[in-house]
Amino acid sequence: MSIDRRQASANALGAATLGLTLAAVLMARPWSRGPTQTALRKRSSPTLGPPPAHLAGDIVHADASDAGQDRSAIAATTVPSRTGEARAASQLYLSAAMLAASVLSDSAVEHYRGGYDNPGMFASLAGAALALAWAARGARHPGNPAPALPFGAACAIGAAGIGFHTYNVLHRPGGLSWSNLFYGAPLAAPAALSLAGLLGLAARATGNCTSPPMRQPSGRALCAIAAIGLAGTSVEAALLHFRGAYHHPAMWLPVALPPVGAALLAVDAMRPATRPRLLTRAWLTLCSWLGAAGTALHARGVARQMGGWRNWSQNLLSGPPLPAPPAFSALALAGQAALSLRARDITQTETP
Amino acid sequence: MSARYPGYDVLAKWDSPSFDDATRQVLEQRLRALPPRRFLSPTEWELLEAVNRRLLPQPDREDPIPITPWIDAMLYNGQGEGFRHPDMLPMREAWRHGLVALNDEAHCRHGRSYTELDAQAQDAVIQALVDGHEQSPRWRPLSAKRFLVQQMLKTAAGIYYAHPTAWNEIGFGGPASPRGYVRLGLDQRDAWEARAAGPARSPA
Amino acid sequence: MTEREPRTGDGRAPDVFRRGGWVPMREYRDADAVDFAIVGAGAGGATLACKLAEAGFSVMVLEAGPFWRPLEDFASDEEAQQQLYWLDERLSGGADPLALGGNNSGWGVGGSTVHFSMISLRFRPEWFQSRSLLGYGLDWPITYADLAPYYEEAERALAIAGPLRYPWGPPHRRYPYRAHEMNAAGLVLARGAERLGVDWAAVPLATLSAPRGKSPPCVYRGFCNFGCSTNAKQSALVVWIPRALQAGAEVRDLAMAGRIELDSQGRADGVHYRRGGRWRYQRARHIVVAGYAIETPRLLLNSACPRFPHGLANSSGLVGTHLTTHAGPGVWARFDEEIRWNKGPPNMAVCEHWNYVDTGKDFNGGYAFMSQGPLPRAWAQVVCTARPLWGMALREAMLDYNYMNGLVAVAETEPRAVNRVMLADEHDQHGLPIAHVEFSYSDNDRRLQRHASRFMAQMLEAAGGRELWPSDDTSHILGTCRMGSNPETSVVNADGRSWDVPNLWICDGSLFPTCGGVNPSLTIQALACRIGQRITDLAARGEL
Repeated sequence: MSIDRRQASANALGAATLGLTLAAVLMARPWSRGPTQTALRKRSSPTLGPPPAHLAGDIVHADASDAGQDRSAIAATTVPSRTGEARAASQLYLSAAMLAASVLSDSAVEHYRGGYDNPGMFASLAGAALALAWAARGARHPGNPAPALPFGAACAIGAAGIGFHTYNVLHRPGGLSWSNLFYGAPLAAPAALSLAGLLGLAARATGNCTSPPMRQPSGRALCAIAAIGLAGTSVEAALLHFRGAYHHPAMWLPVALPPVGAALLAVDAMRPATRPRLLTRAWLTLCSWLGAAGTALHARGVARQMGGWRNWSQNLLSGPPLPAPPAFSALALAGQAALSLRARDITQTETP
Repeated sequence: MSARYPGYDVLAKWDSPSFDDATRQVLEQRLRALPPRRFLSPTEWELLEAVNRRLLPQPDREDPIPITPWIDAMLYNGQGEGFRHPDMLPMREAWRHGLVALNDEAHCRHGRSYTELDAQAQDAVIQALVDGHEQSPRWRPLSAKRFLVQQMLKTAAGIYYAHPTAWNEIGFGGPASPRGYVRLGLDQRDAWEARAAGPARSPA
Repeated sequence: MTEREPRTGDGRAPDVFRRGGWVPMREYRDADAVDFAIVGAGAGGATLACKLAEAGFSVMVLEAGPFWRPLEDFASDEEAQQQLYWLDERLSGGADPLALGGNNSGWGVGGSTVHFSMISLRFRPEWFQSRSLLGYGLDWPITYADLAPYYEEAERALAIAGPLRYPWGPPHRRYPYRAHEMNAAGLVLARGAERLGVDWAAVPLATLSAPRGKSPPCVYRGFCNFGCSTNAKQSALVVWIPRALQAGAEVRDLAMAGRIELDSQGRADGVHYRRGGRWRYQRARHIVVAGYAIETPRLLLNSACPRFPHGLANSSGLVGTHLTTHAGPGVWARFDEEIRWNKGPPNMAVCEHWNYVDTGKDFNGGYAFMSQGPLPRAWAQVVCTARPLWGMALREAMLDYNYMNGLVAVAETEPRAVNRVMLADEHDQHGLPIAHVEFSYSDNDRRLQRHASRFMAQMLEAAGGRELWPSDDTSHILGTCRMGSNPETSVVNADGRSWDVPNLWICDGSLFPTCGGVNPSLTIQALACRIGQRITDLAARGEL
């Protein structure tokens, strides 16, 4: 097929995908002001009934406005532990949203560079946009169950993407070679989309007030996911920074810091103690800052290319990718949430 | 001949990152500062112009790419390629001598001056020289073939394809500093490159 | 015609990294003998100037051409950038006359490294002992092992962007930068090689694939042979000269060396040079001639004197002789896909198979071949002269510009006395006799080229090329003041030191006894690094 016919069909598919995505976003309404936490508590307490004794771990004093109402008092003792999970769910949603946003912009730019050769290159945009929309909404209202479809779709599209990208690398002259790993389709990028979907599903389950605690994702599993995510993203950064010959010392940061964070997360996931170590939390916070620092450094890198920002239409494509470093922030946040849930798990199993 | 890259104009990128000051400066000169006739005589100029019109014909253009003025400038400045065959005359003499010999070739073959011949006959003269079948004794010591191909044709082609109009014709991306190219692969084009019209020409 | 004024002087030289910027430059008076006066600021002269200045010697470099400012002087235009070449008249004859000028001769600080294709390949180790190990040519007075540390030094200094795995030659330290993304022209060579079952590789290139210092990485604009306005190209102008200036060397641009004088003891005393319209004389304790394989012997021949009536340092009679070049047979084809070969460096992929395989050859020597990416003016000149093609047929053929691809070889030629540089009776604008070059191929050379043409055609067809046609060309000039172990069969010794005049040195491509089947620039720079180290060692031992 000639370049132009391909381009035309790509444009048509693109328009259709973006239209569908827009429709989905409109349906998800992530901007809407949903019910407040208080109303959430009032709504949820009748269905829950009296709390089991072992859930009375984190006691929060009842609101003054709710004082004197038995039901509210019950709600006040019921909700505190749900608040912790709601917060974790919110964090997981936010993490998924950040990852999805990173994938959306990175994929849009990189697939544009690839000329949208393959119509499937739009799928990543659609998948990331859907996951982003629902995850953003979920971050605001973690208790309001989001559908599983957008996150499941993201998982599936990501998996398909890994397949496509692997094929892209293998069928270029040279096959599996350093050159194709450097310049071919990156293998870890679609994995990030699947990860966003996974985190969204986990957030969904964590925030879903109707499901009993046992059906919630285990903190240990989430720690593993976050750790793998951190390690995998670090490998991708290491590969691309290797391509850049580590010409700047800061390029070692995403190679050195996140793997330590992943290791700390993994260790904490196995340990029987109740509270996550301060070191792990601190290191994850460091990784969060890495995301912001990385974007700033990448921006400096774009400016350092020939023509700087004036040549933005080329340098955004050829220079270091701006949306990539925030993936570390996203995964660090997921790690924080996972630690909280791990602590909850331990508290639940330990308290008689 | 139909346009392979219709609507493509390298100069449309004049104010974009595809052009820098140094490039704009030299292209301004090439496009607007046509050198006047300073070296060749009017007759030599006419003859050279007639030959160039056959070497690089431009019947499809109202505003053909000028070639002769640049050859005149080259001869006036004495700026050649930096080498010549020991049997060749120095550049200025070689061109004068060659033009005389070429005109004489037309006389030998067709009994008239080169400029008086029709296009077909003019082409026949060129082809004969390109094949090395000169009849005129005026060529010596030059090799007619070497003069026509390595001097006249090579110079004319170089001047023609150093012009933005020729770059449009062949779909050349043009100057690209500081912009550069991002898509380097097969069947890939940066958004600001020339777009080919229709399918690729199939081999004859 | 631009009237040029020298740019260096008044204690400063251009800063190639800043528009309108200057760097401080130490200056030496003509009457005060500098330790080393170097003629030529190219791959040999600039590198040696850097090494000697950094070792603490006082160094002054004469360069016939201008001190370029890449960010300002280099237009993205083939025609305008002819200014980079040595366009003073030379005669070139013989059965197979060499094209000079822009084909292989640079002019200006940086010399030919300003317009070269940045191909940075090492010699095959056995070539240093071609005669002993491979049965042809000559042995060099040094081995690969002698030069290996300096190859590495040069590769690091030039931040060579090369592949992690290079299929040929002994393994060496990783190239400092990673190879560039392969362009379509190179991918076609790769495809052809894979179908024929031979290795291919990304060419190790002296242009950046990541930022370095004040230079951004290559933007793949494709005007490499016409000067890099990005400053990504690691020419001698941006690598060795800035270091040399910082270490206290002086560079005098637009300074044409005319003649070297000896003192009454037969030692080199100084060099006459013309700058700013008048002749001057710089005294020096040592003189290095680094003008490449035509200007170096020309200067020595023009410096003939009663002690050396046949040319300075020419008791062997070899100065100017045994000129070698790299034959460049080419094959071109049309493809269905758009190649747009002008994007990126002109030669991104290489096959060195026939440099390292000795069986199945009816000739001595080797060749490498690379993918191509000529710009329109250069391409038009190939098309019209090679086929030859003119008229509407030429314009029609040129319409396929974006669909063309080709392979051109870097093919070894034998060193023969008959191929040489002499003086002509004509004089240039400085009043100096000009060079007359004579060259012809041997039967062995022709057999090698036929083999190359056949193999490249096979590969291009296997890669999907159609309507193939051939061309002829040459690249590089080498060997005219060759190094050796014996004063009767060489002009200089293994350190580039003249047998005849102990304080006269040569440091450029003239040194090569044989030319091998790869581009010479990396080997020239490695030799210069080694000569610099040798000079430093000799000085420390008081043997200078």
